[in-house]
Formats: sequence, C-alpha cells, structure tokens
Amino acid sequence: MTANPVAKAFLILIVVAQFAVRGHAQQADPQFEALASRATEARNQQNIPLAIELYGETVAAKPDWAEGWFYIGLLQYSSNSFTAAIDAFNHFLKLQPDAGPALALRGLSEFETGAYDDALRDLEQGVKKRAAEEPRNEQIIRFHLSELLVRAGRFEEAVTQYDFFAAHHIKDPDLLVNLGLAGLRIQDLPQNIPLENRQFLETVGSAAYAYLSGDNEEARKQFDELFARNPATPNLHFFYGSLLYKNSPTLAIEQFRAEVEHSPGNVFAHAVLAFRLTIAGRYAEAKPEAEIALAADPDIEMAQIALGRALAETGDVKRTTEVLNKVLQKDPKNLEAHMGLADLYSRAGRREDAYRERMVCLGLAQ
Amino acid sequence: MSAWFALAWLNSLRILRALTGAGALGLLLCALFSGLQVSAASSNPATKPPACVNCHAGITASYSHAAMQHALEPPGSDPVLEAHPNLSVQQGKYLYIVQTRNGHSTYSVSDGTNTISVPIRWIFGQHSQTFVLERDGDMFESMVSYFQLEQRLGPTPGDGNIVPRDLSEALGRKITVWEALQCFSCHATDASKGEKLELDKLRPGVGCERCHVGADQHMADAVRGNFSSLPKSLRALNAEDAGDFCGQCHRTWDATVRNHFHGPSNVRFQPYRLENSRCYVGNDPRISCLACHDPHEQDNHNLISYDAKCLACHGKTAASSTSAVKSCPVSKTNCASCHMPKVSLPGGHVVFTDHFIRIARPGDPYPD
Repeated sequence: MTANPVAKAFLILIVVAQFAVRGHAQQADPQFEALASRATEARNQQNIPLAIELYGETVAAKPDWAEGWFYIGLLQYSSNSFTAAIDAFNHFLKLQPDAGPALALRGLSEFETGAYDDALRDLEQGVKKRAAEEPRNEQIIRFHLSELLVRAGRFEEAVTQYDFFAAHHIKDPDLLVNLGLAGLRIQDLPQNIPLENRQFLETVGSAAYAYLSGDNEEARKQFDELFARNPATPNLHFFYGSLLYKNSPTLAIEQFRAEVEHSPGNVFAHAVLAFRLTIAGRYAEAKPEAEIALAADPDIEMAQIALGRALAETGDVKRTTEVLNKVLQKDPKNLEAHMGLADLYSRAGRREDAYRERMVCLGLAQ
Repeated sequence: MSAWFALAWLNSLRILRALTGAGALGLLLCALFSGLQVSAASSNPATKPPACVNCHAGITASYSHAAMQHALEPPGSDPVLEAHPNLSVQQGKYLYIVQTRNGHSTYSVSDGTNTISVPIRWIFGQHSQTFVLERDGDMFESMVSYFQLEQRLGPTPGDGNIVPRDLSEALGRKITVWEALQCFSCHATDASKGEKLELDKLRPGVGCERCHVGADQHMADAVRGNFSSLPKSLRALNAEDAGDFCGQCHRTWDATVRNHFHGPSNVRFQPYRLENSRCYVGNDPRISCLACHDPHEQDNHNLISYDAKCLACHGKTAASSTSAVKSCPVSKTNCASCHMPKVSLPGGHVVFTDHFIRIARPGDPYPD
C-alpha cells in the first residue's frame, strides 16, 4: 500500500504546523518576503504547481532558506513527485539535519521510489527524532517502517510496530499481510505477494493481531485452526511462541518445541528454543537443542550462549569458558555471556571471578 | 488427626530420632503411618484424602505460621481485616473504604456522587495487604492497600502515579490474565492448570506442592506403602540453585539484571541482592538462602540470631575457603543491623532488609 491521501494530508498538516512557526522569523528582505508570501498563498490555495514554482524561486534566490526547501519537498511529495521531493529534502536536511518530520517525509518518498534501504534508514531516524509523536503521523510512519523492517529481515522489530496498531485498533488487510510475513519470517513486501498467497498471510496476521490486541482466547483459536490446516508451514508455531513469550515463557517454549518437531531443519528455531530453555533454567533440555543448532551453524550466538550456560551447570569450566568467550570475542558487551560466566565461576567456587563478572553485568545492565 | 495426637507423635519422633538415623526413621515411620492410614481408610470410606500433615505433622504445624503460607489470605478469615473492620482513605477526589462485617470484606470507592462496591475476593499478603478484585469479568489490583506499619490504607506500591479518569478506573488497576497468572502462581497453590487460571480451585498461600513438586504423587503412593516417588530434596540445593529456586517468586539475580529492575524497589528481590554481595559464591552452603531461612518457619526478626551465620565465615575459627575473609573490627554481634541495612520502599509504607551484604555507610546512596 502506498501512503493513502488522507493519512498523507494529516502528516503534511502536522509538519506544516510545526514548521511554519519557525519559518517566519527567518525572513527579512522585503522582496524575498513578497515572493515567499506569494508561494505561501499559492500553497494555501492548493495551487501546488504554482507554489512549487514560487518556492523554487525563493530557494534560488536564497539557497539557505530551509523553509522553502521543506515546502518544495512537501508539495512534491503530495503531488507524488517523489524523486523531486527527495531532492528538496536533501537540501533541507543539509541545513537542518535533525529535523525528524523531514527525515520521515524523505523516507516515505524513498519508499515510493523503491529506495527501500534509504527509506528504512530515514524512517528510523525520523522516529528517533520524534517525527512519530502525533498518532496520525505515527500511523503512516510505522506502517511503512514495519514493511521495511520485514523486508530487511528484522522481523521481531517489525512485530513491535504492531503494538501501536493494536492499541489504536488500526486494522487493514495490508497491515495483516505484512504481519503474516513478519511472523513467518519471509523477507518481502506485501505488494510483492501473489494474490493466491495473500489470504493465508492475512489469516496468520489476523491471529497475531488478535493476540497483540489482548484477545488471547481468539488468538489461540485462530492459531489452532492454522496449525490444523497447515501443520508443516515453517515458522507458524515459532511465530505463536514468539508472541506468547513475553507473557508466558512456558507456553512459548511448547510452541518452539512444536516448531522444531514439525520443521527439524529450522536451525533458528532450535537456537531460540535452546536459548529460551536456558532462560527458564531448563539447562538439560537446552543443551541438545543448542548442539543441533550449532552443528548446522557454529556461529549462531543464541545457541552458543545456551550451550555455554548449559555447560556451566555441569561445572565444565574449560568448555564453558571456551564457548562463552567465543561469544565475547565477537561481542565483548554480551550480557548473557557475562551472566553465564558469572554463574559458572560462582558454581565453581571462584568467588572473585564470579564477583567480577557480576559487576560487569550490572554495568552492562545500567 | 487431632492436635494432641500430632503432638504426641512429634514427641515420639524426637525420642526415636535420638536413637536412630533420621533418614531411615522417616521411611520407617511413614511406612508405619501409611499402614495406619490404609487400615483407617478401609474401615471408613469417608476418611479425608491423605495430606502432608499425616506424616509431616511438625513441619506442617510450623509452616502454618510461616509467611509463605499466608501469601494469600482467604476472604472471611483474614485477621488483619477482622482487626480493622473500618478502613478508609481519601486519595485525590476518591474515597476508599474497606469494611469487614460478619467475615465479609467489601472494597468501595466513591467520588462523592457515585460509589462502586465489590467484595474482596483475594487478599495478597499477610501483614501489608493488597486486594485483587473482580468486576464485570475483569480483575483489578486495588488502588489502595493496607499497610501494617501505619495500620491504615495507602496507595498500592507501583500504582501511586496512576491518575484515574473516572470512578471505574479509580477502583483499581486492571490486570491482564497473564499478570494474574503470575500473581496467583506465587501467592497461591493450584490457581492454574497449565496456563489457565482456575481460581475456584486455588488454595491460599504457598502450599507444600508449590515447592515440593511431586508431593501429591508422593502422598498417593505413600498411602500404598510406596516411597519411591519422594519429591526431590531441596535441602541439598547449593547457594546458586537455592537462589534460583527461591527466585522463582523472589526474583533471581538473572531475571533482575535481564529485566533492568533498578532502584530501591529491587530490595524486594533478595536473591538478586544477596548475590551482589562480595562474600557470595554459589557453591558455599553458608551463604545460601536456606542457611539463614527455614521456609517452614515464621521469619525470625531477631537480628542477633543471625550472627552465627555471618560468623560461620567471618569468625576467627571459621573454616573459610579463602584466607581473604575478614572479621569485623567493630563488632561480633548484631552483624545484620549494619551490614544488611533496612530499606524503605518508595512511598515508605514497607521496610525490607537489604540482602546485599556489605559495609554500608550512613548516607550512602542505594547501591543498585
């Protein structure tokens, strides 16, 4: 779905309102001010071609006039001239690099031109710089962001965007398809999905949406139906487990286990199962799962940590430190690895080493 | 089994224990007693099903006074509310009243015009108490709690910043099913099956089975003379495992760190605090939760009684694992009063002993 006009209009109104206040203070030259006033008037009268032309003249006369560049970008965006919008926002952002709304608008424009990596970067920056603080802006920004996150393979972060949609009861077929893609860990955009696959993805998204909306019973019912009809679909159990994890680690682990039973080749699911079992203190069960994952992919960090922690329980200092230090070589600030070492040393009676590792953990957890 | 019989049985146990090994004796007595049960049951079909008290009378008797047994008080028999039948507090524009009459407690909130009243169904805590309420199928944590320190109602810890928009919201903080599961799983027994709440079946407080997993099976087997399914002994847990075990409810070190629980509120998470202590090490039973606390007994508030636990490492004759263990230059008594200072929770209604053992100087900030 592209940005729908209504949502776009709201976005524009809100950023204009924020921006206009700052804009006037910068005007001094009477001739320039007259030109700027004409541009503003054209814009207010919805004469977009004329407004773009006049704003173009203002920035030609005064290339450091940020407001002019902003409105050119905004008007080009609302005219679906996305490449021109990006160009204008590029100028604007050189002058005001921290302007969240402009970053978000450039990101939305980039999305429309298919520059997805750039769009993701700009939308994330825009959100960080408070472009999504108004609910209607947030809706359109998070919608595109969630799609881009799925495309980038950042599925968990994509699902996180849906907390907002569920809280505001915002539901849309494309939203659900995208949620289905995130859940089944398919790196793609909803608009690329063939019609015959959309229904299934939408159903998966709908089950997840029910859960995110707090309707646990409905979610369970929908997922159970999905499991019954599609027992071999990769990541379906995994998705439900991921949703459940925050509230019910035990139920989540059951789903992760179901996933590896149905899809024994799902290495990531083995690693996650191992890791979650470790956090639940079920080390003996975690160890074989971690070993399966590591046999397929020796560098998978979650499985390394799970194996390390499971080994710590057995008191195998040498092998545990080997495994956990391997994690720390790549990521010296890995909290879980340091926690594993603290546990290991504590169990082994190495008081000072355990204390040191615990203090490292407390520092990392600040 | 009547009380006098339990007492006599206990006395017999003490004498016999002095004569023989306790482990073998336990089995012998249980076998003997299970025989009595079977014969009693066969002669009287209406006999109650077996219970832990049948064989473990002493522990059961002492546990009946322990805090964990009273983690949830049943409505109608709560001594705190019975002793304070008319409690009220004004919170902003809302007046809260907790009234107890004829064994029934009611929680009301009023804005001066309208009032919502609901029966108190679940009372969390033995001394300071928070109520869990039910209204229109939803569960709520009461917006006000009873605090023993002041013997009055006050804002429920953690909910003090909530500004209710209307009378309904003023009743309490709505809790999700998941949250309720967590609350009841630590304050009651058999409150859920799997992950489904079954509050009509719950037994208030932390029952034997909650810690001694398999106790039900053990009882069922024991009455048939089978003692092969004894629950795993928790006595043998090392300090690390004990912290993890007790931490299921009191929060483990891992969980506290992982969830970034910062600030004085984490003084409630004793395993976390203890494991931050320099003297803590997981394989030393002298620093285990169980070294100082018998979960089957009431909390001992006499700090001097804990001195021996500290001196087990810090005394001159202590068999310490390293030579670096220091002895206190100030005192050899009342150790916990200095090294485990009291910390008030934000709001000041409840005071906890900080289990982070350290040299604590007056005025030092709370060490996270």
